[in-house]
Amino acid sequence: MNKLKLWLEQTMMISFAILVGILIEGLVYAFTGDPLSSFSMSWLQLLSIVITGAVCSIPTLFWLTDDLPRNKFILRIIIHCIGLYAVVALLGFVFKWFEHLDGFIFMTVIYFLVYIFVWLVTLWFHKRDDNRINKALDDIRDDE
Amino acid sequence: MQVVIEKVNSKDEEQAVIKAVEITDEISGAVELLEGDSKGFAVSRDGKTYIIKASAVYYIESVDKKSFVYTKQGCYDCKYRLYELEVMLGGYFMRCSKSMIINLKKVRNVKSQISGRIDATLLNDEVVVISRGYVKEVKRRLGI
Repeated sequence: MNKLKLWLEQTMMISFAILVGILIEGLVYAFTGDPLSSFSMSWLQLLSIVITGAVCSIPTLFWLTDDLPRNKFILRIIIHCIGLYAVVALLGFVFKWFEHLDGFIFMTVIYFLVYIFVWLVTLWFHKRDDNRINKALDDIRDDE
Repeated sequence: MQVVIEKVNSKDEEQAVIKAVEITDEISGAVELLEGDSKGFAVSRDGKTYIIKASAVYYIESVDKKSFVYTKQGCYDCKYRLYELEVMLGGYFMRCSKSMIINLKKVRNVKSQISGRIDATLLNDEVVVISRGYVKEVKRRLGI
């Protein structure tokens, strides 16, 4: 049940981050001359984003949920990041997110921004939990 | 002091609320009794047997199927297994990993690691690890 919850949370977080990335892409095109009104998305593209989010969440469930020392965990994150990049590039090719090199580069930039965003949000959740736990511990701590 | 007992349907709903002008020794004793801190259990060191109060325990560790109790005065052997101590002590004593029980009242603060596990600094400045699988239970025990 916990894994399912984590999978859904990750899927939503990644899908949201990709949509923000696409929004940024649209704004960049608008500021570089393309009228914003020409920017549109089909239902298939939206579906492809959710599918990508769901697929990219699966390795996280099995690869990044073990208790490991910090160094080993960071090594796993690097491998995870590169592995997912390969998966996203493949899905991008399948769903036709890019046709030329500039589109591929843009997707690469968006991918790394999304990856960093997801980790920042996760760390923020950790920080928030720490504060709540420490506050609760203040109420029960023994005097010594 | 007027005592009111209200019947509830489940163990989760059980709680004791004490309204007092000041915390007297009697009230502290009642709190200890309710929280289970006054429970004593047998431990041994250098061939001598001692009875120690639960409230003196920082954490209990199991190594090679032997239990070791850590207090401010040092480490003691204990004949009980971890699962027995967990049931016996209850309250703020809880598993923080497969081989350790921690007294939450002795935790000074916690800090999450990038992997999701939590480092808990105790009042004696020792740092113990709360595995990510037990973090949810920590929050539940603290009412978060």
